[in-house]
Amino acid sequence: MQIEKFYYDNKTVKWFGYATMFWSIVGMLAGLWAAIALYYPALNLGIPATTFGRMRPVHTNAVIFAFVGNGIFMGVYYSLQRLCKTRMFSDVLSKVHFWGWQLIIVIGAITLWAGKTTGKEYAELEWPIDIAIAIVWIIFGINMFGTIIRRRESHIYVAIWFYIATWVTVAMLHIVNSVELPVSMWKSYSWYAGVQDALVQWWYGHNAVAFFLTTPYLGLMYYFLPKAANRPIYSYRLSIIHFWALIFIYIWAGPHHLLYTALPDWAQSLGVVFSIMLIAPSWGGMLNGLFTLRGAWDKVKEEPVLKFLVVAITCYGMATFEGPMLSLKNVNAISHFTDWTIAHVHIGALGWNGFLTFGVLYWLIPRMWNTSLYSKKLAGTHFWIGTIGIVLYAIPLYWAGFTQSMMWKSFTDEGQLKFQFLETVTHIIPMYVTRSIGGALYIIGALIMIYNLRKTIKKGSFIADEAAEAAPLPEKIPTHGRTYWHRWIERRPMQMLVFSLIAVAIGGMIELIPTFLVKSNIPTITSVKPYTPLELHGRDIYIREGCYLCHSQMVRPFRDEVARYGEYSKAGEFVYDHPFQWGSKRTGPDLAREGGKYPDSWHYNHMMDPSSMSPGSIMPSYVWLLDRELDTSRTESMIRAMRRLGVPYPDGYAVSQANKDLAAQEVAIDTALKADKIHAGRNKEIVALIAYLQRLGKDIKAAPKEQTAMKDPEGRAIMGN
Amino acid sequence: MKFIHYLEKISGVSIYGLSSLIIFGLFFLVMVIWAIRADKNMIEELRQLPLDKLKGGGKIILVLAALVLPGASTHAAGPPVPSSATSPFVVVAIIIIIILALAIALLANVLLGAAQIPVRSAASDAPDTAGNGVSKEPEELTYAGGLARTASPRSSVPMTVVGMILAVSMFASSPVSAEGSDVSAANVAVVGTTAINGVSDTAFYMISGVILLEVLILFTLLYNVRLVLSIHKKGQATAGDAAKAAAKPRISWWEKINSFKPLEQEVSLDLGHDYDGIRELDNRLPPWWLYGFYGCILFACVYMWRYHVAHSAPLSGEEYTISVQKAELQKAAFLKNAANLVDENTVKQLTAAPDLAAGQKVFETTCFACHGKAGEGGVGPNLTDEYWLHGGSVQEVFKSIKYGWPDKGMKSWKDDFSPVQIAQITSYVRSLQGTHPANAKAPQGTLAK
Repeated sequence: MQIEKFYYDNKTVKWFGYATMFWSIVGMLAGLWAAIALYYPALNLGIPATTFGRMRPVHTNAVIFAFVGNGIFMGVYYSLQRLCKTRMFSDVLSKVHFWGWQLIIVIGAITLWAGKTTGKEYAELEWPIDIAIAIVWIIFGINMFGTIIRRRESHIYVAIWFYIATWVTVAMLHIVNSVELPVSMWKSYSWYAGVQDALVQWWYGHNAVAFFLTTPYLGLMYYFLPKAANRPIYSYRLSIIHFWALIFIYIWAGPHHLLYTALPDWAQSLGVVFSIMLIAPSWGGMLNGLFTLRGAWDKVKEEPVLKFLVVAITCYGMATFEGPMLSLKNVNAISHFTDWTIAHVHIGALGWNGFLTFGVLYWLIPRMWNTSLYSKKLAGTHFWIGTIGIVLYAIPLYWAGFTQSMMWKSFTDEGQLKFQFLETVTHIIPMYVTRSIGGALYIIGALIMIYNLRKTIKKGSFIADEAAEAAPLPEKIPTHGRTYWHRWIERRPMQMLVFSLIAVAIGGMIELIPTFLVKSNIPTITSVKPYTPLELHGRDIYIREGCYLCHSQMVRPFRDEVARYGEYSKAGEFVYDHPFQWGSKRTGPDLAREGGKYPDSWHYNHMMDPSSMSPGSIMPSYVWLLDRELDTSRTESMIRAMRRLGVPYPDGYAVSQANKDLAAQEVAIDTALKADKIHAGRNKEIVALIAYLQRLGKDIKAAPKEQTAMKDPEGRAIMGN
Repeated sequence: MKFIHYLEKISGVSIYGLSSLIIFGLFFLVMVIWAIRADKNMIEELRQLPLDKLKGGGKIILVLAALVLPGASTHAAGPPVPSSATSPFVVVAIIIIIILALAIALLANVLLGAAQIPVRSAASDAPDTAGNGVSKEPEELTYAGGLARTASPRSSVPMTVVGMILAVSMFASSPVSAEGSDVSAANVAVVGTTAINGVSDTAFYMISGVILLEVLILFTLLYNVRLVLSIHKKGQATAGDAAKAAAKPRISWWEKINSFKPLEQEVSLDLGHDYDGIRELDNRLPPWWLYGFYGCILFACVYMWRYHVAHSAPLSGEEYTISVQKAELQKAAFLKNAANLVDENTVKQLTAAPDLAAGQKVFETTCFACHGKAGEGGVGPNLTDEYWLHGGSVQEVFKSIKYGWPDKGMKSWKDDFSPVQIAQITSYVRSLQGTHPANAKAPQGTLAK
């Protein structure tokens, strides 16, 4: 047979590698900034863009989509060509993909700093960027499938199965979760409301972890680990079973982010049990990785690449065991809304994604520059600094989370809450300080790596087009020896795509469709009314400033939460919330029942200087809200958009009545403020925000009892309110 | 006399007991694993040694161990029993003491064996022992504790003797402990005015002393084992280890639970796949992983069944109702005996300085945000003038604080402060009357008579 000669494209890999390194530092610095802001709120220097509420989405988006995203593409572009024995399908598409993705990142960062956000965690980017992401993702898909189809290898390797599942599932998640109605160029409202929005969001959020941070990285592990260790994959059988089990089960587990919320109980239980069933498929990946190192553990001691990979895989194992444990309701009752979750995700992010990326970089760069690593010793230093960084990061946060949760739940013998919310926050500040030190160490490690790799690059010479040769794919693929049934699909990438899509679509559909269609899942409360125009403006400000990143709006049915915040939240309360704002972390107290708790003037003073109303508060000051003018010209399009989403404003309300109502409500608040010697001035954002905060959780108080009462399965009321 | 159980005052204290139990359990487990994984030839050698070959140090250690063990176990069963066997602290302590005693027994056994090695290598008849090592392979896995050894018919005479000493020392302690308990009971009766963790302080210090002593012994033993082993290693290096090479490779528990195939047989598992040089093996799924997976699926089915079919487990809302009912009962039980049952009908103006100081403290950390540091008013009304929006009598002020006026921005504080605290705040607030602070807010409401 004729042997064909061809060249691998290393240039795209190189660019993605540079981008990975660059964005890793940017993303981590944003994280460090946010971590320090938690105990030193004045860090924002009085600038809106640098408050925690805006830095945090910049950090999460930069780390997930910029650092890990570029890391994925770097690894995929390198391994896919070699596993398919062909050059990438199209150099032009590679280039468009690379520059398109970087453009998305830059615009994304700028808009997030500017407060342009949808208010849905990990999907904060606004609608024009969402469209751009979809386009670039499809370009990546065409390039990837083109390469797979033109391969010179009869079967596709397990790494590619993971790439295919990643591509199809991320496309599905991104499109479904980003259905939103544009109001203006940089503002949109989620198509879904309240409970439904929450379910879609966490179906997306959880599976962003699964299919952006996990499956592509498992693919990378399946290529780079056996290469670096020069060992065969431990078990092909295990690959097959854990791959299909993982993608099928993962998609169901989203509701475990919403335990004890107003989400229907059946959906919560599905989230719990699928999370538990997920342990084994996740560990299948870890075992196949670690067991591949059998007989090569002596190399792990000397080879920095393997050290990084081993810690990465171990962290993966820890995080995927801890995750299901956190999904058990009794554990979740302690961990949720605390820093425990933050510690958990950082075991995954710093350990699994970070260390695996570093390992791959240390392996790739000397090879592409045809040289050896500049300094193994420096890489060893990076390894230890990074590992200590992870430990110093995670342990204080586990401690903080557990302690704070226990304090929240403490009652005195007389039946009063033992601690004010603020006491539980100031108590854990030392842990926040330690955490930021751990994070700083981790960044220092990454900088050492960049220095080391720069030196490596300098001493080598880059091979832009790497020569390779292989025989073309024969017409009929010969089979020899024992063959598995699974070999059939390994020759058919399109079928692989379709079956993966079916596997991931099932769980989503079974959870989403009934929540949308069955009315009993979200019982109506007649007294819940749409927001007034002023409140709607306030809500937009609330979302813009990222308040939901520190304040939840979800009172769970626990004795302590009901005592602290008021009656627990009901599904019917959120039907006009586009998007929902339940939050996932309580750095500050819950706001679901904030309305009427304090006078308007309290909120005014609190926004100006939080510590004047609650001494020791770690909330930054929002002085700019006092000066900024409210843009009432937007009212009409906002109300129109809400109407199209099904919010029952009367006909013609947007044009004729909305701004009149807005002005009237403003005057009312202004009068209340004046009584307390505060002169807010006309048309200020602060007034809109106060209007929104004073509305929160109030509607239900006027509701007839039977609508909010809990019912047991036989339909008997088991509790009144 | 009344014993105060301090631990009960910390909510969720059972976690501490549990965690210490887990820590000690893990410690014990690690030790057992170490014992199992220790070089079998070496242990086999130890087993073959006649006791009379013991020299100097070894003998001393043996005697020490024999002396210490009955002593330790006497204490182990002794002091806790009398005062309150039900106290979780005592129960946990007993368990820890027993586990530690077992660990000491085990380690002492290992040390006794290890002490023989220098003697053995001097005798240099390695091939012989190596042969034995192979033949006795399976038995080694049951090598978990010194006591188990006595039951093994194949143990050589000297080991049986050691085992018997240990066993006797354990059992012999029971009559002694009965005596001991009487003594401690008497102690409690006599001393008994002070108590720590629900046991008399004598008993407490005895228990902690025993644990400390046991830990010390453990470390001493460990140190000695290491010392002896390092001597052994030196000897090995010079004598050469032909014996080891001849022995069959041991199948470790790790290889067993994963059903690993030996690396040499890897070729037979190769599937012939080659992806850019990456080959794939066809190893079996690790059995524990597979059964774990089945177990998780079973868990999922049972979970769904219990919550959504049989309704035998409470869903969120029901859980809430249950917890509130339980809390109400606890609260009622507490308040029945407590002297602080104050409400808006029975509240009286307090004048004692400590009460007013307590009220002032709360006022200056909480109420001041709205009412000003000196009660001059701000967001909320001035509290120092004679004008009141909701009445200025002690009952009315108490009620305003307790239930709040939520429509006007005054929240209810009944979940934050106890009735007594609210009475203290009320009294402090009323004591501010006529203080005329600076920046006083204009009067609101009606003039009080």
